Amino acid sequence: MFGLDYSWLADPAYQNWLVTGVINTLELAALSSSVAILIGMLGALGLSLRVFWLDALIEFFVEVFRNTPPLLQMLFAYFTLSTLGLKTTDPVTGLEVPLLSAFACACISLSLFGGALAIEAFRSGLETMPKAITEAGRSLGYSRWARFWRIEVPIASRVCLPSLTNILTNLFKTTSQASVITVPELMYYAGQIYNDTFRTLEVMILILIIYVVLVSILSYGMSRLEAYLTLPGYGKGQ
Amino acid sequence: MTKFGKLAVSAVALASAVAANSAVADTLEDVIARDTLIVGVKNDYPPYGYLNDAGETVGFEVELAKYVAKELLGSPDKIELVPVVAANRIQFLEAGRVDVIFATLGVTDQRDEVIDFTVHYVSAAGPSVLMPEATTVNSWEQLKGQPICGIQGSYYNKKMTEEFGINLVNFKNQADAYRALKDNRCIGFVFDDMTLQKKLEEADWSEYKIAVAPYEFLPMAGGLREDDAAFAEAVNNAIVKAEGEGKLIEWETEFGMPHSDYIAKRAEAAAAQN
Repeated sequence: MFGLDYSWLADPAYQNWLVTGVINTLELAALSSSVAILIGMLGALGLSLRVFWLDALIEFFVEVFRNTPPLLQMLFAYFTLSTLGLKTTDPVTGLEVPLLSAFACACISLSLFGGALAIEAFRSGLETMPKAITEAGRSLGYSRWARFWRIEVPIASRVCLPSLTNILTNLFKTTSQASVITVPELMYYAGQIYNDTFRTLEVMILILIIYVVLVSILSYGMSRLEAYLTLPGYGKGQ
Repeated sequence: MTKFGKLAVSAVALASAVAANSAVADTLEDVIARDTLIVGVKNDYPPYGYLNDAGETVGFEVELAKYVAKELLGSPDKIELVPVVAANRIQFLEAGRVDVIFATLGVTDQRDEVIDFTVHYVSAAGPSVLMPEATTVNSWEQLKGQPICGIQGSYYNKKMTEEFGINLVNFKNQADAYRALKDNRCIGFVFDDMTLQKKLEEADWSEYKIAVAPYEFLPMAGGLREDDAAFAEAVNNAIVKAEGEGKLIEWETEFGMPHSDYIAKRAEAAAAQN
């Protein structure tokens, strides 16, 4: 069809590479998304405590990791941290080797990048809380902690779900940059396959479809979650 | 016109442009009409194509490209050098952005399916492995399961992983791979033998050696678009003429390459033919 040649897909080596690539992409995305959400929650919690030095610390973290390209963060983690002394001794060869593997470097920088964005998303959710609700909580005798867990978090997490979906889909796509530091994910193998077969267009189309499918599953799941958690009178509950 | 109509028209225009491009006309005519030969060359790959201290692109294949320009258009200066890398050179050629590539292009069956080759003017050693001096490894088989740095898109990567079972750690460029080798992220760097030999001449690399020798020698040739007979003939005649005049042997000397039997034999054969 359209002169496209997919005969290379019959090669077991390429099949194997594509499967390994998809698995590594999924692992990287799942791990860094989970850590990013955790960082986002903790950061927003920290900000809500209104402690001066903690606010400054969290804002500094957000500015650093939100305002630098994740590609640069990965390269920095991969090449620079070991030079700065983050090394260990390989028990087999006795050589000094970098402590963090390529996968660890990619995972850490994606988690921090996503986490910085997630802090802002959760914070915006907490800040849209109508004052009347927190006041109602106080008048009913809820402590600061109980108000946070039982009133603010349930409402805020629902309010910030759409922007969290954006962050997670973006994070998923950003995993493709990890190929630069040799993490064998989908883009890494795609490049190798079209360099071997010269079927650049065909490989690109297939990879595009794989990403569209994977990210669509993620965003469909998020929209189902949104529908499930909907609040009467808000968003989809209107 | 409706939005859809416009879209349809531009799609048709695009498709016909693509069709016109793939039914390649006559590159020789175009080159003569343009009075310039556009050549894809390497500029990071001593001794074949690299930047000298003055920032000019020079090298064995650059000289060859200039010689071809001289034969086709009367002057070695009627040439435009376009820097290409392994990962885009075939695409540049297919898209019509260059007339011919002289860019350390190894002759392989897979490439032959999408482009045509000129005569094979060099027989280059394939990949070898650069490792620290202390290593005891000396064969490809011993590298099984070991982390070895490489370059994404190299033609031998599939053989390395599937046949030798090497755990390749592939970078986008050589600088990153050399750095990773020094950081011990991998125990060796598999790359084109000639380039690694040159690297060993640098002072920082005195504690390294070529631990595993190349498993093959691969003919290297220029790349041409398919079925471009008149242009192919003109380019081949120019290359054979250069061989017959012993130019390729002169360039080997000029760019510090060891003299190869292959080039000497081709020079003899070409000289006898002329």
